[in-house]
Amino acid sequence: MSDRHTAESIREELTHRDNQSLSARITENPEPFLRWAVPMVALIAVEFATWAGIAVGMIEALVVGVVAAVELTLNYASPGLAQVVADFQAGVAGMLRSVGGMLGEFPTLLSREVIPNQGHQTPDGAWQGTFLGLQPAVAWAIRFSLIMLYALVTAYWVFRGWLVYRDHYRESDWTPTDDIVSNLRGHRWGQFGIIVLIVFLTMAAFGSALAPSTVSQNIENTYGDESRIQYLSDDGTVETAFAGDANFNSKSKGTVETNIGLMSYDDYSRFHPFGTMPNGRDLFTFMMGGARITMIVSGMAITGAAVVAMTLSMLSAYYSGSLDLGVLTVADGVVSIPQLLLLIIMSAVFADTWLGSILDGGFLLALIFAFTTWPFLWRAVRGPALQVAQEDWVRAAESYGQQPRKIMRKHMLPYILGYLLVYASMSVGGIIISLSALSFLGNGLGISPPTPAWGRAISAGQSYVSTVSWHISLVPGLMIVLLVTGMNALGDGIRDAIDPETETGEGEEAAAGGGG
Amino acid sequence: MSNTLEQSPPTEESETLIEVEGLKKYYGGEGMFSDPPVKAVDGVSFEIKRGETLGLVGESGCGKSTLGRTLLALEIATEGSIIYDGTDITGLSGTELKEWRKNAQMVFQDPESSLNDRMTVGEIIREPLDAHSWKTMTDRRERVLDLLSAVGLPDKHYFRYPHQFSGGQRQRIGIARALALEPDFLVLDEPVSALDVSVQAKIIRLLEDLQEDFNLTYLLIAHDLSVVRYISDRVAVMYLGKIMEKGETEEVFSNASNPYTQSLLSAIPEPDPSAASQRITLSGTPPSPSDAPAGCNLSTRCPAKIRPEAYADADRDLWQAIERFREVVRERARVALSLGDRVRRRFNRFDRFDDIEDSRADTFDGVEVPERVDQQIETAVEMVKRGEPMEAQQHLYTEFASVCDHERPEMHEVSVSGRQSYCHRHTDEYEDVEPVISRRADNE
Ligand code: SF4
Repeated sequence: MSDRHTAESIREELTHRDNQSLSARITENPEPFLRWAVPMVALIAVEFATWAGIAVGMIEALVVGVVAAVELTLNYASPGLAQVVADFQAGVAGMLRSVGGMLGEFPTLLSREVIPNQGHQTPDGAWQGTFLGLQPAVAWAIRFSLIMLYALVTAYWVFRGWLVYRDHYRESDWTPTDDIVSNLRGHRWGQFGIIVLIVFLTMAAFGSALAPSTVSQNIENTYGDESRIQYLSDDGTVETAFAGDANFNSKSKGTVETNIGLMSYDDYSRFHPFGTMPNGRDLFTFMMGGARITMIVSGMAITGAAVVAMTLSMLSAYYSGSLDLGVLTVADGVVSIPQLLLLIIMSAVFADTWLGSILDGGFLLALIFAFTTWPFLWRAVRGPALQVAQEDWVRAAESYGQQPRKIMRKHMLPYILGYLLVYASMSVGGIIISLSALSFLGNGLGISPPTPAWGRAISAGQSYVSTVSWHISLVPGLMIVLLVTGMNALGDGIRDAIDPETETGEGEEAAAGGGG
Repeated sequence: MSNTLEQSPPTEESETLIEVEGLKKYYGGEGMFSDPPVKAVDGVSFEIKRGETLGLVGESGCGKSTLGRTLLALEIATEGSIIYDGTDITGLSGTELKEWRKNAQMVFQDPESSLNDRMTVGEIIREPLDAHSWKTMTDRRERVLDLLSAVGLPDKHYFRYPHQFSGGQRQRIGIARALALEPDFLVLDEPVSALDVSVQAKIIRLLEDLQEDFNLTYLLIAHDLSVVRYISDRVAVMYLGKIMEKGETEEVFSNASNPYTQSLLSAIPEPDPSAASQRITLSGTPPSPSDAPAGCNLSTRCPAKIRPEAYADADRDLWQAIERFREVVRERARVALSLGDRVRRRFNRFDRFDDIEDSRADTFDGVEVPERVDQQIETAVEMVKRGEPMEAQQHLYTEFASVCDHERPEMHEVSVSGRQSYCHRHTDEYEDVEPVISRRADNE
């Protein structure tokens, strides 16, 4: 890479220009930026409603989280005030939800309206209502592939943005990040993990467009006005029925007559990529809903645990002594609580409160998983944190009077962040499995029905495993295995990228089963 | 270079910049049941004059690095005072301390560990300025560039990462960072020992130039005597938390008074082979800083140790054997006994130390042992075998200890220039160090 600077220009740039910010550099040489930014804007624009919806959802989650914390603390001081806060939260959440609803009205390019897959055959054999008159299966496959392609291209384009920044706008011609990225670029196993993560995130974000059926027709409002479907009856006439009735006649119950397996149509010309469930619902649609709740809950849980572990590990490494001992004691205490017992107690205690109702109980689960997982992450990063606290650059920062907070952020955090990512992505597998296990057990544990949860699908298909309806349990099981494997692969990849000397498989799997 | 650093005008308020008085730094040993404290620095006093370089030498573990860190208030002094330009810094805290920190900075030994690899060189050098909100951002950047050129690095390194530099260049960056806040005083903790020999000279020359340009005062901590001799105006020699000798560099190197300094210097290969010099070796290994001798620090290893009255004329081999045997017993006394051993001792079944007989035989092999000494040794051996090495140590102490064992020496002035040495032999009562060492060496 060529040096963008001549000897004088650096001094010039650093000292005689008021603004040496990134935007100034872009103004000076806008072309590479524009060549990246225009396609990026286009990519966002075609799915604007989806992205904005995600943003609104995140803000809502943030509001709920912050308010929950405030409310919990206030509750001790003054229940009245806590009520005010709770009302405020309800107000804000309501407002955000209506914004979200409005956004839903915006058209997106890769939606079921643009590429419909639901239709029926006319008596002459042609398809009506589907995309270009194609078979529902083909129409669905096209939409599915386009969305996945869109997600992967968008992800790549974001990465591409970093490359453009690096090559054209960054002051340094080399940074330690470059090495990590180039290591990861040669790491197939880690890339597999990244792709798995993108695919599952796409399912969570675009689930409703990916699915062949809608949640409303599938679960929520099967006898509503919008759930009328048309089909070609056996007598050769086109008739109308409620989705609820159609579902009722499309059950997979383990016998050859009553089974809609993988990649097959039911009697109502509806295509089921993963078959149907024992109650006749489309398994694929159900899985997409499950993917959303799984990704949100496990993502929140592992983020919470990682933030706690990171903060405590730096504090305990920097101040060491009795603080370290205190954290150690608390961590051991938390680990000694049986997780299942804690989950059952907490679910029962909060069952009817507003806290227990956020995200259909998912928020509470995320809190509990974060609470039980942080000690494992803390233990894993405590060693590196202690090590970096001993480095001379920390002594140097003390010698010129740098504040402890900044010492931790600038001189310690960058070194433990990598380890934290590695252990977090390996521990998240445990959370995903525990979450599914809870929904599998049911009985008020896990995500409250009817919100789809993978564990419930496994549980529903449990009695049909040895029959023709084996797909009901197997597909969700495989999805979980794929996601957990992917996250472990991602962890391996990051580990090898930040520390290329360590050979793979060197006994660092300790954290893998963390949350389980 | 058109932009040179502003030079702080030489201040003449006082000759002495730093005055250290009775400084002690102990680690641990506070609780009732804790082990005895580690006495890393055990009562040292010295002063550093404005603009001079004081070299601090000693083997690793003698407490010289701890002393350096305590001077910079990175460690809290256990006792004693550090007067910096009129203020006692051991009492500073909070904003006062932060303000004072601008005056004194440190250059670290290992350039690999002293620079944060995740920050650019510019950010690293700028950080002290940021931490003190020094002037404006533009001024800070300008100053970083000036500092870079002051240590001989081009501007373009501003945006690079430490990873891209060699050890010598990294050390230059560390020096630039130490200079950022215009300090008067720098602690150089082994600044070149981690570098290639070819680079060492360059860094030393740079440090000398900077001292001249910015009127800096240095405390140079090193174990490499040639570096110290080259750059220091005065030298202090440390052993086991104590300063053994201090004085003008040339005087100390050419005419050392203290037995420890002499042995240290005799280890340097003499460039002139005809010069009559013998290697003066210290016996044994240094005791742990938590178990320093009660008298002179060097008394367990001293080549010139004073003998007690009664044994003044004892045979040399015999005396050496006695000292060696005392060391053996001392080592036994340091061993912590297990609970089982203690129970066994209670019932006279203790046998863990029976091999003391062998050690005794080895030590006194071929030495003629007079009746009286033999009896004392025998008593001590019995005590050790019973499991009471502490008593044995005490017994031997009563019989064989000299003034070196039970009395701390004073700092004695040993030359007109004010050189001082920590040894009983500088009093009129005892023979001086030099003849004793050469006589004992000759006997070999
Ligand atoms: S006082 Fe002098 S002679 Fe005695 S042990 Fe110490 S250094 Fe040696």
